[in-house]
Amino acid sequence: MSDFLPFLVTQCLNALSQAALLFFLGCGLTLIFGIMRIVNFAHGAFFMLGAYVGYSAVHWTGSFWLALIAAPLVVGGFGAAFELGILRRLYGRDGHAFLMVTFGLTLIMGEVIRLIWGVEALQVKPPDSLSDIVFIMDEPFPVYRLFLAASGIVVAIVIWQFLERTRLGLLIRATSQNAEMVYALGTDVALVRSAVFGIGCGLAGIGGVLAAPLVTASLGMAPNAVIDTFVIVIIGGMGSFLGSLIGALLVAFVQVFGTYYFPDFALALMYLIMLTVLVVRPGGLLGKEA
Amino acid sequence: MTGTSGFSRRAILGATLATPFVARHALGDEPIKIGMPCALTGPAGEIGAQMRRGAEFWAKSVNAQGGLLNRQVSIVAQDTTGDPATAIRKAQDLVEREGCRLLFGMTLSSEALAVAPKLADWNTIFVSGDNGDGRLTGESFVPNFFRPNTSGPMETRAIALYLRQADFKNFYALGMDYAWGHNSIGVFKDEVKKSGKNFVADIYSPIGTKDYSTYITKIRQSGADACFLVLQGDDNNAFLSQAKQYRLGDKVQLLTSIVDLNSIHAVGEAAVGLIGSSRYTFSFPGEANAKFVAAWKQEYGVVPDVFEGEQWQAGRMLEVAIKKAGSIDADKLRPAFETVEIDDIKGKVAMRACDHQAVQRGFMVKVGRKEGFTDPVPELIATFPADEVTPACRQMTYDS
Repeated sequence: MSDFLPFLVTQCLNALSQAALLFFLGCGLTLIFGIMRIVNFAHGAFFMLGAYVGYSAVHWTGSFWLALIAAPLVVGGFGAAFELGILRRLYGRDGHAFLMVTFGLTLIMGEVIRLIWGVEALQVKPPDSLSDIVFIMDEPFPVYRLFLAASGIVVAIVIWQFLERTRLGLLIRATSQNAEMVYALGTDVALVRSAVFGIGCGLAGIGGVLAAPLVTASLGMAPNAVIDTFVIVIIGGMGSFLGSLIGALLVAFVQVFGTYYFPDFALALMYLIMLTVLVVRPGGLLGKEA
Repeated sequence: MTGTSGFSRRAILGATLATPFVARHALGDEPIKIGMPCALTGPAGEIGAQMRRGAEFWAKSVNAQGGLLNRQVSIVAQDTTGDPATAIRKAQDLVEREGCRLLFGMTLSSEALAVAPKLADWNTIFVSGDNGDGRLTGESFVPNFFRPNTSGPMETRAIALYLRQADFKNFYALGMDYAWGHNSIGVFKDEVKKSGKNFVADIYSPIGTKDYSTYITKIRQSGADACFLVLQGDDNNAFLSQAKQYRLGDKVQLLTSIVDLNSIHAVGEAAVGLIGSSRYTFSFPGEANAKFVAAWKQEYGVVPDVFEGEQWQAGRMLEVAIKKAGSIDADKLRPAFETVEIDDIKGKVAMRACDHQAVQRGFMVKVGRKEGFTDPVPELIATFPADEVTPACRQMTYDS
């Protein structure tokens, strides 16, 4: 089949672009869990907020690039404020408290977004430079998807370097391993937690803006996103940065190729992988806790 | 007895104030209340909001002309969230507590199907504004239900009639993976075969699908020259946005079961070129429609959408029926409604007695750019006669 090579290349690029979006979500969730040991149920709502803030930024400034900067700042700032104002009071309680509070936040954010932006789905246009197509071996392919895949790779490298090379990265890794020890050594662990919660939410916010040209900004974004994100993090291992990357790639490739070859089972395939991982390695592929 | 003295004082005061008006406000001259249980929040909230606007606009225009039977008309809307059980509760509340003798609304067909069996007990007439399910005028028909709007089977029928005359030869279909998607594509597949054309394949995407790249690849590879879409809401917006990014429309004509201004607004340029069946579009020809659209624009600053137009038509038919019957009593209104004919925003529409479906034409539209509009707009490309579009009495399918 002479058509097979272009098909393979475009499908792989499709999967990479999808993996990038999933990674923005999964990585933020896993960072937060690694440090704080809480499951942020509101992660999908932060993703949705990112899309809406992105819409408004494009609407006011006319620039998608500014939206890409504004959304993570606003969403991350809001996340950090939420941690400072509310979550901080709950440390020491058991996990249910966080589940309830973050789930409640999801509902509140959904309603507030409905009040501010209305019920109709909103269009976010990518900039003209990204709206074009390129021909990959005679198959038209959207530049925007290439941009998504590239931004996923760039952000993955940036976060990796940030965690490995910077002082805050070092503190984050240390806190995730032994928070008390870090505290005893004179670091303000509470501040690290706020920072991580903000960064995690900011990543979801970027994901939201980047996803908006593909799916529009709409109220259905949050519940959809949160399920995929949990699957990725469960596969990759709660708290593992590399795990979220692998989880995102795995889910994206399985979705893209699964839908092509077995359209009726593609969705089930994703859960099957999750199930297998849970049975074989209950803590996830790279998770620490089994 | 302090109570009595208080009562009489108020009564005297009331009587004194009311005296000059007694002549004009005869006994029982309270407003005609029309109960409207509809989904104002939840996934169908936007449709419910359209229906409510349509009904209120109609009531306002009726009241401006002196009301009906010398009584003002008021719409009492309540939110059902799109849930059938809540719809029953709210409808009962409107009938028994609010004293509504007439019902509008019921955004989803599942709600209408749940409420319909109760109408006889309540002795209440329910006039649908948007319910599409064929069963409401088929196996689940009840005498107190009337459907002035285009039904789901009629909507699909218009597409079927259109593809018989169109140039496309090979068809593909993409639908949401639940009853609506499978049913609609099933009907479509039959129609393609009846018209002697080739149905290549169908595929179903799970509800909430975000990445349509693989579906787009499959459609492109299939060699089909047209693809029928049964998608709605977020899924529809995501597919159209992405199809545009892959330039799918350059190779394959996209046909859709729904064309509404909301989704056009959500995807903008990506809607251009879409062909679909339309229950109502503001760009329909005719003087009555032009007048309606102009008045609507003056009131709301935008053009009316699909369900706003459909609800207006429902109101117009009810208005004629009430005038004919001279009453809103179900037993008098029913026979009068069965013979209502109007010539309004969608042209000639006639209620038929056998299943209470309004006989009306079918319309196909194509979305394009038009001067003076920021968003693309649907424009009429084909009209099909009422007798070919409306199914036989109490039927949901067509013989030919």
